[in-house]
Amino acid sequence: MLILRVVRQEPLHGYAIAQKIRALSSDQLSVEEGSLYPALQKLLANGWVKAEWTTSDTGRQVRSYRITAKGLKQLETEQDDYQRMADAIAAILESA
Amino acid sequence: MRTWFRRVWHLLNRPRNERELLGEMNEHRAAMHDPTTFGDPHRLLEQSRDAWGWNWLDDALQDLSVGIRSLRRSPSFAVVAVLILTFGIGLNLTFYQFVRAALLSPPAVKSVESLARFVDMHPHGSRSTVPYAVAEFVKANNTVLSAVLVEEQAAVAWGQDAAEQITGTFVSLNWFDELGYAPLHGRMLSEAIDTSGDIPAIVLGYTFWKNRLGGDPHIVGTTAFVDRSPVVIAGVARAEFPGMDLQVPDVFIPLTQREYFYPASPALRAWSGSDGVDMYGRFRDGLSAAAVREGLRATMQAISQAHPEVERDHWLEPLLATRRFMRDDERSAVLIVMSLIGSLAGLVLVVAAANLGNLVMSRAIGRVRELGVSMALGARRSRIVRQLVIEAVPLVSLGVGGSLAFAAIVATLIATQSSFPPFLDVGPDWRTTLVALGLGSIALIVAGLVPAWRVAQPHLIDTIKNGGQQMSQSLDRAPLRRVMVAAQVAGSCVLLVVAGMMVRSVQRVVSGSIGFDYERAAVLQVPLARHGVTPDAARQYWDDVKARALAHPAVEQATIVTAPPLGGRVFQTGYDDTPGLRTMTQSVDAEYFETMQIQLVAGRAFRAGEADVVIVSRRLASEMYGTLDVIGRGFPKSRASAIIVGIAADAHAIKVNATDVAELYVPLQREDFAEVFLVARARTDADALLPILREAASLDPRVIPAARAMREDFASEMRGPRLAGAVTAAVGLITLALACLGIFGTVSFSVALRTKEIGVRLALGAGQPALLRALMRTVLTPVGVGIVLGVGMAAAIGAALRAEPFFLEHVDPIAFAGGVLVLCLAGALAALLPASAMLRKNPIDALRHS
Repeated sequence: MLILRVVRQEPLHGYAIAQKIRALSSDQLSVEEGSLYPALQKLLANGWVKAEWTTSDTGRQVRSYRITAKGLKQLETEQDDYQRMADAIAAILESA
Repeated sequence: MRTWFRRVWHLLNRPRNERELLGEMNEHRAAMHDPTTFGDPHRLLEQSRDAWGWNWLDDALQDLSVGIRSLRRSPSFAVVAVLILTFGIGLNLTFYQFVRAALLSPPAVKSVESLARFVDMHPHGSRSTVPYAVAEFVKANNTVLSAVLVEEQAAVAWGQDAAEQITGTFVSLNWFDELGYAPLHGRMLSEAIDTSGDIPAIVLGYTFWKNRLGGDPHIVGTTAFVDRSPVVIAGVARAEFPGMDLQVPDVFIPLTQREYFYPASPALRAWSGSDGVDMYGRFRDGLSAAAVREGLRATMQAISQAHPEVERDHWLEPLLATRRFMRDDERSAVLIVMSLIGSLAGLVLVVAAANLGNLVMSRAIGRVRELGVSMALGARRSRIVRQLVIEAVPLVSLGVGGSLAFAAIVATLIATQSSFPPFLDVGPDWRTTLVALGLGSIALIVAGLVPAWRVAQPHLIDTIKNGGQQMSQSLDRAPLRRVMVAAQVAGSCVLLVVAGMMVRSVQRVVSGSIGFDYERAAVLQVPLARHGVTPDAARQYWDDVKARALAHPAVEQATIVTAPPLGGRVFQTGYDDTPGLRTMTQSVDAEYFETMQIQLVAGRAFRAGEADVVIVSRRLASEMYGTLDVIGRGFPKSRASAIIVGIAADAHAIKVNATDVAELYVPLQREDFAEVFLVARARTDADALLPILREAASLDPRVIPAARAMREDFASEMRGPRLAGAVTAAVGLITLALACLGIFGTVSFSVALRTKEIGVRLALGAGQPALLRALMRTVLTPVGVGIVLGVGMAAAIGAALRAEPFFLEHVDPIAFAGGVLVLCLAGALAALLPASAMLRKNPIDALRHS
């Protein structure tokens, strides 16, 4: 969900995605960065993102990942699910 | 669906994709301040593969390559296993190909679904032929058939001197057009050209043209002679041109020109009688068989009104080409026999698969430690099973390939040896391949899945602790292994006993217990009816021929009969007084019994001019009356219409190997003489009779007599049963070898696993006989159970094959005892060999082994 959320605004390459997640989460989500790639492959396999080779700002050939219409739909579903779950947990915590 | 395409596309481009992913990850690492927090790229690559869902394929390929490697490491096992499968599946495929070619596939003709044969039915029975005049009338006066085709098969003489008898068929001129065949050379018969003409045109059958006439295409246009009359060879039919039954005619002659050959024959003009044609018709579009039957009723009624000799209650029953022109009851009888033979072939596959399963299991038991380690490292039971099954795939694939080759070679060999018609293609096709794959899958289940499931037990991990010895021994004693040995023994027991019964049934006939002497007899056939001879003239002719033959010193005796032994056609009757017994009725003259050397047990032979008397066979007398004291009694018992004057010894002259028939003899009557045969008995050699009989028959210059020694008929009558007996015996022996291999393998493996124990027991002074008994016990029970099961099944199959075409004696003690004895001896030898070899070893050597 996080990756889909990050690439929703603009196509990004792997390193940039990792950087952005790190920045957006204020360094709270600093997991093993390499695990991003199996996750990206899963998104590719499901058709939620598309990859294409582009030239980065530094002039290097990089693979950028762009969200697809199917990916957007998936992101919405996951966000809704997450929201429902978070609300439910919050409700339990508040009542306790 | 799109997801699948993406995944397949990824699989096809996997090396490039993975290269790019690895590059991408390396770039990422290079950009990081601390690349060590990135993770191991190779592990991540592995996880990425998981995301695309192709890991199972990698595992399968890996297991497959392990399977191939292990086969290459043990080539002797591989060869034996592949041969077992090749034989087990191949035999079933060969059988399937013959059944498909001869019974399941409809004849290969144009629009086969609308073609049917018509038989002449009436409430009390049926006749397979239809008078030609009726067929012609139906052709011109019906609304349900778009075409009518007719055929009349007849033996004709070939060559100017008429020395050679060949099979001819008189066909309607639309025969080739309607069946949809162009010529190989020249032209086919056609209504436009062949309706009239001084000299008829004929078409040669492919086999006759190829084998007898040397396959020369320039023969087209030349003149030949059929029944001494000149004809022009117009063309040659293709090899694949089908006969409507399994016979392939040598020549096709226009039926409309039949009178050119036989000017006095009434056959084309008669509205009733025994001279008929095989009638076929093509349904008009969309009509069902029932609609056609009803549609032709009106036509048949119109015929019976105009021609009172055609009875009113006759109708034409359509038998569909798609069902091989068989009635439902005939078809199911044939299918029952075929399924029984098929189940015998299936048994061979069971034996082969069980054998292989045992071999595979032995190998897997030897690997329990390795498999235990895999399980300890996290492999689940299903993973281990999958691994073992996939490892068996190369073996089964080779077996399937081998079986297709086996079926192709053996089927061609049998087809060539048994002169199978060339239009029946017994070669493998896509259906055979499908059947092979199906049988291969069954073999994979028995030889791969079942042993794998048995070996891959949850407590396989324990094998690591004790080196696998205990687990191997417990698996070795597993019931599954015994079941497999029992299955092999049972299968081979059935095949051996049934083969024994078949061989004995042939032997019974060959060894001379058929009750008559054919060795010195010869048959003279003269187709008088073709020449429109009156019954009185025919009788005079035959009396003269018989007198001329008897005048020759080489002829000992001669008789006139309506159906000569070994190949004659007779009426079969099932009397209410003798249920289950078919009575064959022959019309014979007074000398029949003496000529055929059939003893008269009581009473006398017929006298000249007698009527309303019969002679019964001993079996008919005892089954109908319960006594042999029947002279002077009425026949048949419940509705007497004749007096019994004699009892003849049993002689199955018409169906030599049948076990459910009895004979009834009636005196020849005046009207029989148009279609009778003369059988003569030589003083020395039957071959010497042939020119004498032909010479005697040449009284009438129009006729072309044919004479043959009766032992030729006997040989051709016995060809089928002999072949069936030989094939079953060969299959039975190979299956026996398989079962022995199974027993040998089981005992050897069990001995190998218990080498240490045996060594200790030997060192402690245990007696060899006691040890031998202990080792043999592994296979004793399954062999015993297998034999009991096998004997039971063989008895059931023997009973089911009691009738046509095998006529087995279902309780044949010699076949049963012989089969069981051979199996016991071979099985005991197979078990004793490895066990006694072990016991001959030095106990210290045996201990060292472990």
